[in-house]
Amino acid sequence: MAAVKDSGFEALEKLKSTEPPVFLAPSSISEVARAASQYLFTKLKPHNPKSPFDELLVDGFDAEQIWQQIDMQSQPLLSSLRHEVKRFAKSPKEIRKIGDLAVEASHEGDVDEMDMDDDNDVEDDDDELEADESEGEEEEEDGEEEEEDEEEEEEEEENEGIEDKFFKIKDLEDFLEEGEAQEYGTDYKNKKGLSKGKNQNLSDDDDDYDEEDEEDEDEDEDEEDEEFGAFAGDDNEDADNLGKARYEDFFGGKKKETKRTMKDAIEDEEAGDGNQGTEKLSTHEKELLKLQSKIEQMEKANLDPKHWTMQGEVSATKRPKNSALEVDLDFEHNARPPPVITEEVTASLEDMIKSRIIEARFDDVQRAPSLPTKSKRQAKELDDSKSKKGLAEVYEEEYVQKSNPAFAPATFSDELKKEASMLFKKLCLKLDALSHFHFTPKPVIEEMSIQTNVPAIAMEEVAPVAVSDAAMLAPEEIFAGTGKIKDESELTQEERKRRRAKKKRKFKAESANHPVKKARDTNTEIHNTGNE
Amino acid sequence: MAEESTEMDIQSATEPESLPAKPIFKPLKAHEMSDGKVQFRKVSVPPNRYTPLEKAWLDIYTPVYHQMKVDIRMKSRKVELKTRADTPDVSNLQKSADFVHAFMLGFDVTDAISLLRMDELYVESFEIKDVKTLKGEHLSRAIGRLSGKGGKTKFAIENSTKTRIVIADTRIHILGAFSNIKIARDSLCSLIMGSPAGKVYSKLRAVSATLAERF
Repeated sequence: MAAVKDSGFEALEKLKSTEPPVFLAPSSISEVARAASQYLFTKLKPHNPKSPFDELLVDGFDAEQIWQQIDMQSQPLLSSLRHEVKRFAKSPKEIRKIGDLAVEASHEGDVDEMDMDDDNDVEDDDDELEADESEGEEEEEDGEEEEEDEEEEEEEEENEGIEDKFFKIKDLEDFLEEGEAQEYGTDYKNKKGLSKGKNQNLSDDDDDYDEEDEEDEDEDEDEEDEEFGAFAGDDNEDADNLGKARYEDFFGGKKKETKRTMKDAIEDEEAGDGNQGTEKLSTHEKELLKLQSKIEQMEKANLDPKHWTMQGEVSATKRPKNSALEVDLDFEHNARPPPVITEEVTASLEDMIKSRIIEARFDDVQRAPSLPTKSKRQAKELDDSKSKKGLAEVYEEEYVQKSNPAFAPATFSDELKKEASMLFKKLCLKLDALSHFHFTPKPVIEEMSIQTNVPAIAMEEVAPVAVSDAAMLAPEEIFAGTGKIKDESELTQEERKRRRAKKKRKFKAESANHPVKKARDTNTEIHNTGNE
Repeated sequence: MAEESTEMDIQSATEPESLPAKPIFKPLKAHEMSDGKVQFRKVSVPPNRYTPLEKAWLDIYTPVYHQMKVDIRMKSRKVELKTRADTPDVSNLQKSADFVHAFMLGFDVTDAISLLRMDELYVESFEIKDVKTLKGEHLSRAIGRLSGKGGKTKFAIENSTKTRIVIADTRIHILGAFSNIKIARDSLCSLIMGSPAGKVYSKLRAVSATLAERF
């Protein structure tokens, strides 16, 4: 333990001696810090019987884990300390005893309630600078420390009810003082209240305040951005806070009167010539000064050139760019402003629309009936192919049409018309067949055409005739007669006679019509008659 | 005695007599009109028309000789025409000459024959440079514009105005009736000047409609 103690103490010393930026850089200082933390931990151990750790484990642990260990130790410590404080509050005499003990023991470096208090204050911080701070505080052991501790304890006693580990009234007050110091003057920085988070030597005593304040005041007077420069030298009487400010604080000692009053009275920055050296001005004089300043302002404004809006007719070149936009110009509008669409307007419109729809009274635009014009003449299409007729034929046709319209050959349009009408007739026929109950078929237009008894395939196909023997003519057309055909050898005598008589009759009929002129081929004749 | 004779003469003169009938003469033939002299026409053949002339010679010869009754022959790169004794009309020779000349200009026989059949047909020729001075590519483009693609613009003008057009390099010949020639000429001139074919078509449509209405 002693070895640890020594090394720990040395570690603390070392930490304290290092510059603050070194802490930020990763360096061997971490080893030292760990040693110091371990030392402190072991110091606190006797006061915390409930903690699970005997010593602070730092080898291979990171900052978060080390901190957790410390935290676990310190939580019950805090509650026990509160108990102690209450006890002291009831019996203040005990404090003295402990305080003396602390003074004696501190030199040895033994853990005391003193250290506990220090550590107590310190352990609220979140970084490893706690060691340094506690170190810093340990140094101020001259006696001021006691006072500080006492005051801190008192403050802690007072504020027990409100405080917890998150909120400390002392911290709040210190913060407020900081703010005020920034606003009113720089003296508050030197106050003792800012022991937290700062590595400065809190070596200021109450005795030194007067001197420092006066020095600061001289400094402050040169600064012109303080409205309440009077507050700079405020702390002659008040060490703690502004709540006990007095008249002298604002309108302080006589040797600084003139400077301060000049600052109060004159609002513009002509305080450069503030060394008039006259006595403090009365109210009347102050008012006069105000009036004078106003008068001067007005005269100055009159002498200056007028604003462009006051100059009468101003063209664009005479005023700054886009300045007309900033000014509220008033001019006549010839157009009616667009109607503001409010809810009532839309409601009325919609009602009208609905009623119109119900009535079915739409104001549709109806096409005006066009006048009956003469029938559209046939738009003669431009034919851009070479004309098949010669020029002579063209004129010939024209002449014929002019002189004798009946004989005029059908023009191209007529042929087209014919074709169109034929197509339409066919279509109508088909539609009639489908739709009429009493359908009348089309009239048969008898056409004469010669059908030769050539095999159909020959007419239709290029293939050789021998492939098919389908004939164009129907069988009845080829041979008309009954099925009973008898060969000549099969005929009976009566039938032979009958045939011969028939033949004779025919021949006679024919010869009566056409007298025989020449000798004809009887074979063909017989053949013909046989076919009839 | 002399006085009596004169009186008698006078008396005979003053007697109302029926005037002799007007003599009716047959119209003079061309032959007789020129006092029996034969009239000639000579039409030179340009070298590019020599072969087509050979091919279409019979088509030319037949109507001229048989219908017009004008002697026609080809001699040393010239077509000669001569009146015969039985040439019916004086103008036949001139018509035949015009017919042959039209063929030489480049018209088809079937088109040129209309000159024989109708009186009022004429041939008008002009050059592109008469309308607008064009050189080089502009000239070629103008000629292209006149004919159109595959000759369709030319045919369109021909069909709508009942004329026939021959475009021979920079020369343009139009065959047809006088008013039709005018319309065709206007269309061709507008094409030379640079108007697009569509514009010319629309004008032609309007014109042809009016032409058709007249008859």
